[in-house]
Amino acid sequence: MFDLALLSAGACIAEVTSSDVNYPPENIIDGTNETFWTTTGLYPQHFIISFTSPVLIQTVEIKCVNVKGLLVDRSVQNVPEDFERIQKRVLDHVEGQQQTEEFQLADDTTAQHLKFTITSGHDHFAAVYRVHVNGRAVHQSM
Amino acid sequence: MPNNILRGACIVVGEPTSGKSAVTQVFHSDGSHFPKSYLMTVGVELCTKTVNVPETNDAVELFIYDSAGKELFYDHVQKHWDHPSMVMVVYDVTSETSFNSCAKWLERVRSHNHDVSIPGVLVANKIDLDQRRVISPKSGKEFAESNGLEYFECSAKEMQNVDQPFHYLAKQYYRLYQEKIEYFKSLA
Ligand SMILES: Nc1nc2c(ncn2[C@@H]2O[C@H](COP(=O)(O)OP(=O)(O)OP(=O)(O)O)[C@@H](O)[C@H]2O)c(=O)[nH]1
Ligand SMILES: [Mg+2]
Repeated sequence: MFDLALLSAGACIAEVTSSDVNYPPENIIDGTNETFWTTTGLYPQHFIISFTSPVLIQTVEIKCVNVKGLLVDRSVQNVPEDFERIQKRVLDHVEGQQQTEEFQLADDTTAQHLKFTITSGHDHFAAVYRVHVNGRAVHQSM
Repeated sequence: MPNNILRGACIVVGEPTSGKSAVTQVFHSDGSHFPKSYLMTVGVELCTKTVNVPETNDAVELFIYDSAGKELFYDHVQKHWDHPSMVMVVYDVTSETSFNSCAKWLERVRSHNHDVSIPGVLVANKIDLDQRRVISPKSGKEFAESNGLEYFECSAKEMQNVDQPFHYLAKQYYRLYQEKIEYFKSLA
């Protein structure tokens, strides 16, 4: 098992709904909890993480602040479309601390893209520090 | 082009005929359009305008929700106030009723975003009708102060001082954003 949501592993942010040049969405997949992406007002807001090839996912973990409603969708297409819902959560507010939310996924969950949608927040603005996607590449036998 | 664009929902409320649509339209049209005859708003009219934040390269895009004042539409109107970011309460300085209802309107918007502080302004409109004025600047200021609002006087008709409350809101919202960024940094 590896962390697949890393720029260094070839993952990228395919789409984002808002961004401050100083706090870009790439900070979510740069491998540290030190940097973050911030929303710049209003909800919903989303970002899409794309992998270099289809992956088999076991767990997903998100580190964030001020997130309330959260949806996770996956797509198995080459291009990020035809998303299906795999998780829906409501996160509690924790003052002075990052929120940590972990998702255990069904055994055979594969994805080429993961979409995270923040449907509501505990404040006008929310931040995401890190997404971990633990799993492995799907070995495609021809 | 600004560096960064924040987005916020600015909810405009107040009694019918206080001038919410007039204030909104004068601001939105850069002073080229004042609706002279009264056309009652029957739901919510949404328009957007981007305001530069002074001394920065950033801007705030205001999503202005000009809301109907007539009670009949309230149920429908409040469904549009998902995540209020800012609030503007407008009253007509010639109408006691419109002034007295400001507390009700303010509370209605704030109840839609409980845990979060929402920048707000109180706008005393129609100051061109000097002879008929019944609400003094003093009463307006006092109400604003005790309710955490910034007080502004304007005349949509004379296109006087209409932009100021919107610019103030954008600036306050931007300030909240900066505070949050510092907070996010402290949690890294
Ligand atoms: N003299 C004067 N008249 C104004 C001013 N602003 C608005 N009016 C007039 O007041 C009437 C009502 O204005 P609106 O802006 O439609 O009022 P409203 O608050 O949007 O009313 P609802 O949509 O019913 O809630 C119109 O006839 C406007 O022309 C002003 O500053 N001075
Ligand atoms: Mg109106």
